[in-house]
Amino acid sequence: MTDAYAELHCTSHFSFLRGASSCDELFAQAAALGIDALGIVDRNSLAGIVRAHIAAKETGVRLVVGCRLDLADGTALLVYPIDRFAYGRLCRLLSLGKKRAGKGKCELHWSDVAEHAEGLIGILVPNEPDDLTGLNLRRLASVFGDRAYLALTLRRRPNDHLRLHELSLLAARARVPTVVTNDVLFHAPHRRILQDVVTCIRRNCTIDDAGFRRERHADRYLKPPDEMARLFALHPEAVRRTREIAARCRFNLEELAYQYPEEATMAGLTPQAALEHLTWEGARERYPEGVPDKIVATLRHELQLIAKLRYAPYFLTVNSIVRFARSRDILCQGRGSAANSAVCFVLGITSIDPDRNDLLFERFVSEERQEPPDIDVDFEHERREIVMQWVYDTYGRDHAALCSTVTRYRSKGALRDIGKALGLPEDLIKGLSGQVWGWSEEGVQEKHAKGLNINLEDRRLRLALSLAQELIGAPRHLSQHPGGFVLTHDRLDELVPIEPAAMTDRQIIEWDKDDIDELRFMKVDVLALGMLTCMKRGFDLLKQHKDISLNLATIPAEDPRTYAMIRKADTLGVFQIESRAQMAMLPRIKPRTFYDLVIEVAIVRPGPIQGDMVHPYLRRREGKEAVEYPKPELERVLGKTLGVPLFQEQAMRVAIVCAGFSPSEADQLRRAMATFKHTGGVTKFGEKLVKGMVKRGYTEEFAVRTFSQLEGFGSYGFPESHAASFALIAYASSWLKCHHPDVFCAALLNAQPMGFYAPAQIVRDAREHGVEVRPVCVNASRWDCTLEPSGDGLAVRLGLRMVRSLSNVDGASLVAARGDRPFGSIDDLWRRAGVPAATLVHLADADAFRESLTLARREALWAIKALRDEPLPLFAAAARRAGAALPEAIEPAVELKPMKEGSEVVEDYGHVGLSLRRHPLFFIRDELTARRIVTCGRVGEVKDGTWLEAAGIVLVRQMPGSAKGVMFITIEDETGVANLVIWPDLFERQRREILGSSMMSVKGRVQREGEVVHLIASCVTDCSTLLASVGERDGIFTLPAGRGDEARHSGGGPDSRSAKVRPRDIYDPYEHIDTLKVKARAFR
Amino acid sequence: MPRVVSLYLPTWPTDRLRRKLGADAPPPDVPLVLVGREGRQRLVLAADRAAQAAGLRIGMEAVRAQALIANLVVKDADLVGDATALDKLALWALRRYSPIVASDPPDGLVIDMTGAAHLLGGEAAMLADLSSRVINVGLSAHAAMADSWGAAHAVARSIRQQVWLVTTGGSRDALAPLPIARLRLAAETIAGLRRLGFETIGELAATARAPLALRFGSEVGRRLDQAFSAVREVITPIRADELVSVRRAFAEPIAAPETLHRYTRKLVETLCSELEAKALGARRLDLLFFRIDNRIEAIRVGTSMPVREAKRLVRLLGDKIETIEPGFGIEIMTLTATVAEPLMPKQRVTALVEEEEADVSDLVDILANRVGSHRVYALQAVSSDVPERSVAVASPPTAAGTLAPPTQWPRPSRLLTPPEVIEAIAMLPDHPPVAFTWRGVRRRVKRADGPERIFGEWWKRDAELAAVRDYFRVEDEAGERFWIYRAGDGEDTETGSHRWFMHGLFG
Repeated sequence: MTDAYAELHCTSHFSFLRGASSCDELFAQAAALGIDALGIVDRNSLAGIVRAHIAAKETGVRLVVGCRLDLADGTALLVYPIDRFAYGRLCRLLSLGKKRAGKGKCELHWSDVAEHAEGLIGILVPNEPDDLTGLNLRRLASVFGDRAYLALTLRRRPNDHLRLHELSLLAARARVPTVVTNDVLFHAPHRRILQDVVTCIRRNCTIDDAGFRRERHADRYLKPPDEMARLFALHPEAVRRTREIAARCRFNLEELAYQYPEEATMAGLTPQAALEHLTWEGARERYPEGVPDKIVATLRHELQLIAKLRYAPYFLTVNSIVRFARSRDILCQGRGSAANSAVCFVLGITSIDPDRNDLLFERFVSEERQEPPDIDVDFEHERREIVMQWVYDTYGRDHAALCSTVTRYRSKGALRDIGKALGLPEDLIKGLSGQVWGWSEEGVQEKHAKGLNINLEDRRLRLALSLAQELIGAPRHLSQHPGGFVLTHDRLDELVPIEPAAMTDRQIIEWDKDDIDELRFMKVDVLALGMLTCMKRGFDLLKQHKDISLNLATIPAEDPRTYAMIRKADTLGVFQIESRAQMAMLPRIKPRTFYDLVIEVAIVRPGPIQGDMVHPYLRRREGKEAVEYPKPELERVLGKTLGVPLFQEQAMRVAIVCAGFSPSEADQLRRAMATFKHTGGVTKFGEKLVKGMVKRGYTEEFAVRTFSQLEGFGSYGFPESHAASFALIAYASSWLKCHHPDVFCAALLNAQPMGFYAPAQIVRDAREHGVEVRPVCVNASRWDCTLEPSGDGLAVRLGLRMVRSLSNVDGASLVAARGDRPFGSIDDLWRRAGVPAATLVHLADADAFRESLTLARREALWAIKALRDEPLPLFAAAARRAGAALPEAIEPAVELKPMKEGSEVVEDYGHVGLSLRRHPLFFIRDELTARRIVTCGRVGEVKDGTWLEAAGIVLVRQMPGSAKGVMFITIEDETGVANLVIWPDLFERQRREILGSSMMSVKGRVQREGEVVHLIASCVTDCSTLLASVGERDGIFTLPAGRGDEARHSGGGPDSRSAKVRPRDIYDPYEHIDTLKVKARAFR
Repeated sequence: MPRVVSLYLPTWPTDRLRRKLGADAPPPDVPLVLVGREGRQRLVLAADRAAQAAGLRIGMEAVRAQALIANLVVKDADLVGDATALDKLALWALRRYSPIVASDPPDGLVIDMTGAAHLLGGEAAMLADLSSRVINVGLSAHAAMADSWGAAHAVARSIRQQVWLVTTGGSRDALAPLPIARLRLAAETIAGLRRLGFETIGELAATARAPLALRFGSEVGRRLDQAFSAVREVITPIRADELVSVRRAFAEPIAAPETLHRYTRKLVETLCSELEAKALGARRLDLLFFRIDNRIEAIRVGTSMPVREAKRLVRLLGDKIETIEPGFGIEIMTLTATVAEPLMPKQRVTALVEEEEADVSDLVDILANRVGSHRVYALQAVSSDVPERSVAVASPPTAAGTLAPPTQWPRPSRLLTPPEVIEAIAMLPDHPPVAFTWRGVRRRVKRADGPERIFGEWWKRDAELAAVRDYFRVEDEAGERFWIYRAGDGEDTETGSHRWFMHGLFG
């Protein structure tokens, strides 16, 4: 009797902002209460069903797949597919409703349900026992036949029992059996408060105004079967029917068989034959002088493996996508475990020559893992959409869709929404979330509030903080994955509901990447990579200006000059190895060959760092520690990386070889580390691993250390093949930067925004490498940055794209109107280009009239201010006839005061994002010197251990997930950059200064590691106000002037003979000056 | 040549608050800011000298201000109060210095002293007098005298000294070095001019007018002209109370209630016609009776909405005439509409179009004036499940209408406040009691419905985070129905004491 109840009516938090508990929590609670089957019914969605499936597998509680349909007329139906076919129909039904209603919504009618009802069990969720319910019952009975039920749910409101009684009478009259449900919204009673709050977030109101918009029916938590039986003692048959329904629904997600789409590339050939044909053809192209024997052997071996695993269609699919991209001249590069095979190289999917680079390609597809191969292809980010649309068109919208990404609450978002719902003032929320590092999941805590002098006695605030903590991790909505395509042979909408995405012409499925992995669907990642856009533009510029024709595969390999540059960590702007952490590592790894770069890319990852593998590796590399293997079997696995596991697959291999894991167990271990980090699954494997290793004769200490190393991996480690692909792009971009800094600078600026550095730093770096950079000019700039001949070399001309707020359309029409006849005046430009005066203001702000029209900012603005909306028709006609602009009015010349040099710099930063004039700190150097603050350049010169104080504009704040709370900050002044290291205790003490300043001065100790110098901060001061004052400074006045030079001291004010108010008496609390704002970039 | 004084009160709102708080005010060296909401933002709207010295600025976010200064005192701003008080200050100056005084909101006064300064011992003496009087009451103030409103305004806001006298004809020189922000121009015009490099009024004045007007409109020229007295600027003086008031003096003292009544009606009729001329309606009437023994008797009546219907007002006042003690007789009666609000003539609806809504405001006024307005109220439904909070007292409606019941579920017609403890025995967790004892009477429960589970409103108080009440409708043997509840859900002691209470009676 006790197990006679299955809960069929559970809403998980995938009914966004409605359910308050995760599937894990629901299933764990069900297991604890002795419920052995749980039906998850999210609103018009199956988004959480895979998570539920996993939770079900872990807890042993059976999952009944279901969905709650909220029809357009307000009827609520619970439907459960009894088999695979019914499941397919349910998916199609949901896809239909979503397509009709648009993103995030679903519109369905009874007629739609009727068409798809076969094999679905339907439970009507009634409101009152009235005529409407009677009508719906009759509809239900006619649509679902013997699969129709009526839900009996206790509401804990007046007349509950009477209502249930009348409902069962109604049901009996309509010959529909009743079934008990509990309409669960959260797993345990204490979640009620959070549920109230998410309701407020959903309804966009505060809790005080929420009133009856809150859920009004009480007790929406899971109850044990005994309790349910007691509550529904009058309806025992309806309680028993829950089991009956659970038993009828035999559908299990494991049944979703998956087929690769067929490639129709070659008629009459099997996919395998077609692949082999293409492979050998490609090999002949790649090696025109004859395919080396080694490659032939490798190709044979790989093709054999592909045939055995029947992966040929997958390779063909990737191949055709890449071919399409090539045909449109879109740069692309494959990566992923399968991408670094010889097959992929000869097919042109990757550019890593397997002959040249010794990669472990024999494990490119794991025979044991029984997992679809993994090839991600990166495309130029600007033109990827073309490829995506081609995929949709080629495979059909019924067979191709993007994965979704579940957007989950993090600290800031949770606090923002909860704070809003609890009616906290916005500035308070903003202040608090400004104290939290953006990606953290630690939540906003009391210490943050203390830093703001906020009264923590405030009850609402404390509630908000604790609720926000609870909300972290809950899904907020679905958005589209950056490029993970799911392609199928069968109709995709029978596997999973599809919904239109926010972007036109895109559609996404309801599941995310992990769900797809879990169900072993094939996925092709069509990703966007900014650096590929940059490289493509770089190759185009090389061809155009220097007549050098190159691509990723033909860039000269192993170039010593390039490696020398990389060793100096002179890598600003290049791919991957430009980050602070990477730059710090470069002089220690000292890359000399491509494989060094592969290791460099892989080692500065959270995985290896958390697993503490970096230092052992470096010590061994530098010969300070002997490379030894406890057993020879380990050498085979870790030989290339000096006995330290650095790549993901090595970690798995260690588990297999040393601890006797089966390949599938090793795979589970990887997943456990990546996906279920929080559920404690890892510890289970840990014990097993240690035991296994000890049994095989390793010492326990070694085993424990190995496990802690492996623990660092998971999603944070790179597989070797990924690292290799990235290393190739890193090498290619470094080569370009090394040999053609002008081309690299222009290409990188045109590919913005990307990477760690802002245009200001890119330009500065280029100028330091001897590249001439010329300002934006209305008569010379095009939209993109271009190269102009300069002396015997090339100079970079900043493009109109650098001008803030200038639209591409206006920029283009300006360039088009200019043609080869330069504009003679602002009037001329305005008439010919036909752009609004506001656009001219943007150009004037960017100082684009100075070079060719010799108009300074103010003069240009003055002239623009005089323009009307439309030229006067008579003047326009006369001007046309004369072929030149005629002034409409002759007005007295007005002498404008020239801008102070400091202001010019401020304006440059404000409107172009960089200045070719002096660095802002130049103007306040005297004050800094007076405060005994040294330059950043000085930091690099002093000897190790020196204490000093340096100041600069904050360029980058970075807190890698790996670095245990250590923050890296880069500051810059006119002499260079200084790299700060902020230890966690300082971060906690000075959180506000560290996260909030745009300029800071830092006291600290210099630490030298070879050529890399860090300043270990001990005290940070916010100098933002000093920086803001730059606009008032004039370069001339800070220079010491001769004593006799009185003109310089008195300035050119009006005659001061009469009694007048002296400026020093001026007291002005309201004055706001144009201030220099530099927004630092923040990175995880 | 006109002579104008501008009085600038840089920290008017905070000074006012400090004065109001008296001894409770934070000491002057403790920074004080006043904040107000702008949308969902809380911004600093006023900051005192200490706060400004510490780097706080008007317009910055309240939280940032708090973060910058640890001992900052934050109070709510009262913009309307500030403006009203400024008007009052203007009235004071009107009586004391000159017949033409206007407030120069938000933080100053302007006084036209043309030809009046000599009465106060000359310009310098007048300025010193004004400044010292204002400063002595605890306001920080700067005062300047010049040839025009514009010049005096600009100078007063630019000086550190307390007073500054710009000699006749000296405005141009005095203004030259001052920033253009002093010119009373729109903020965006100022910003635009500053972008072009205009910093001081002198630079602006030296620039050709036509190009400026083409670019920034005529306002720039107008303000310059006003400041330099090239154009006369009119100061609209503030008027002493514009109360509508009528008065009647009697040759012979009157005393009989009927006579008082008759003259009351006459006064009301005159007052109503005056109100009508101004399109006003009275919200409060003060009727004063000046007795010959120099005592004043008074009647005050209020209405719920503006009224100028003589009959109604007479009835309201007439009801209270009996409270007047005429003594030896009354020689003067005055009737003043101390609170009046705009009242426009309104089209009456005709029966053809729609039902006319019954106007109950008359009844409400009569009741309110008889028993006191706080005793006349309406009940309003509130969206709350907690019974005590499901209705709120609201001001009485002006039109007869029905209020929606708070919920769709049956609720007792009478609630007991506070709920009374009863003794009851019931099976846990969710059964109704078999019998209970209330006010000493034991009743057996014949029928019951429940429980209806009502949760505490956790966002209101900590005590309500877990609180639960289980309500039952019960009927005793005599057929009387009660609404009783148990504090707690019958399972978890966190949720309540598990004692039983009587909360309401069904009719």
